[in-house]
Amino acid sequence: MDWLEEELRQALERKDPPPDFAARVAHATRVDSAAGSGRVVRVWPRWLPVAAAVLLMAGGAAYREHRGRVAKERVMVAMRITADQLNHIQARVREAKP
Amino acid sequence: MIGLEREEQTGIDFADLVREHQSMVFSLSYHFLHDRELAEEVAQEVFLGLHRHMGDIKSGEHAVFWLRKVAAQRSIDAARRRKRRPQVALEEVAEPAARAAVYDPLLGELLRRLVGTLPETPRMVMVMRYQEDLAPAEIAALLEMPIATVKSHLQRSLALLREKLERRGVGGY
Amino acid sequence: MKPIRSMLLAAALAWLLAAQQFKFNLEHLEAKSSDTVDISLNSSTLQFAAKFLDSKDPDEAEVKKLINGLEGIYVKTFSFKSEAAYSIADIEGVRKQLRAPEWSRIVRFKSAEDGESAEVYVRNADKRISGVAIIAAGPKQLTVVNIAGSVDLDSLSDLSGHFGLPKLDTVQPGKPKKPE
Repeated sequence: MDWLEEELRQALERKDPPPDFAARVAHATRVDSAAGSGRVVRVWPRWLPVAAAVLLMAGGAAYREHRGRVAKERVMVAMRITADQLNHIQARVREAKP
Repeated sequence: MIGLEREEQTGIDFADLVREHQSMVFSLSYHFLHDRELAEEVAQEVFLGLHRHMGDIKSGEHAVFWLRKVAAQRSIDAARRRKRRPQVALEEVAEPAARAAVYDPLLGELLRRLVGTLPETPRMVMVMRYQEDLAPAEIAALLEMPIATVKSHLQRSLALLREKLERRGVGGY
Repeated sequence: MKPIRSMLLAAALAWLLAAQQFKFNLEHLEAKSSDTVDISLNSSTLQFAAKFLDSKDPDEAEVKKLINGLEGIYVKTFSFKSEAAYSIADIEGVRKQLRAPEWSRIVRFKSAEDGESAEVYVRNADKRISGVAIIAAGPKQLTVVNIAGSVDLDSLSDLSGHFGLPKLDTVQPGKPKKPE
């Protein structure tokens, strides 16, 4: 393995997820099991419940910041879905044109 | 209930699998997507999928194979759904006008960034090779492609990375 | 207490959906879907979110410009594990509302080969665009979008290259193509 491959190994070494990741997975599996059908109703990002609890403890201003990030995320997801759909429609319309 | 019985027979505990492999799954997704939050979401989805399919898992090794395979698939799906910025072929990554003669102390970050600009398939091949230290045959089995294709992706990607680094004055030592 | 609680919830929902320009009536599909995305954002939520959009980020800057003046964004996407999980009647319930005089269809495609169809409508009020509706249907996915308010189609078009949004071939307000 040459120097570049060695550097790549170091650059791409494994990184740890957040400390509460395993707890969030456990929570998600419990919700999933309770739902039974495996449905996922995603209205906001999965990190919301834990982050909200932490920030409520940290104080009002931080919670407002958190709410703002959540609102922003939902706007971006909505626009992303809209953009994806319009892009797909445009591509299909172009394909259909003689 | 069937899943639980299977778990008891194989001795594989889901929570143990999460603890043992969360870094692997998260990192595969993170190095591929270069987006921490999205990588967390993908990693969570992968483990949720594992939980639903625990009845199919035959052994610890099988679990690892399953996790790598699904993490790769979900990460690629997430990248395609994201489409926030156009895919930039490695050849198109902008280079500074002047050749830098000084060694870049942030080489790791530069390499991660350059890998992140690779098209999806070669990018995943590179992450599998250098994060997971997998042989081309193992990568071929995971990504369901010929070994020759895996090797070609590796060779070409390394050549391009070397070229980009040399232009920046970063070379072997 | 229960009736009061129900009334409060109904009032909250009504407030949230006040700006929505047509009813989706698709809640019954949630039970059949493997994955649902449901986003309802009224004007106050949009204004609040706008404060957190980063003008230095190209995508967020474009979105910030676009949502200025909007009254609401409503998105519902269903993914299904098998085909034929929803019916033409489900989509027809939405289309019927978009046949109202104020709505005009500006884009449509339908492919018998892969079972996909999609339509884009604009809502006209006083010769201005006051809303956009999208219905996108595939064998295993259904998406309905309503963007309510003063939508600048040029800004929507300008998202091209950010979210890959296309430049739409639009008709001018006041010269609608009525749906069949």
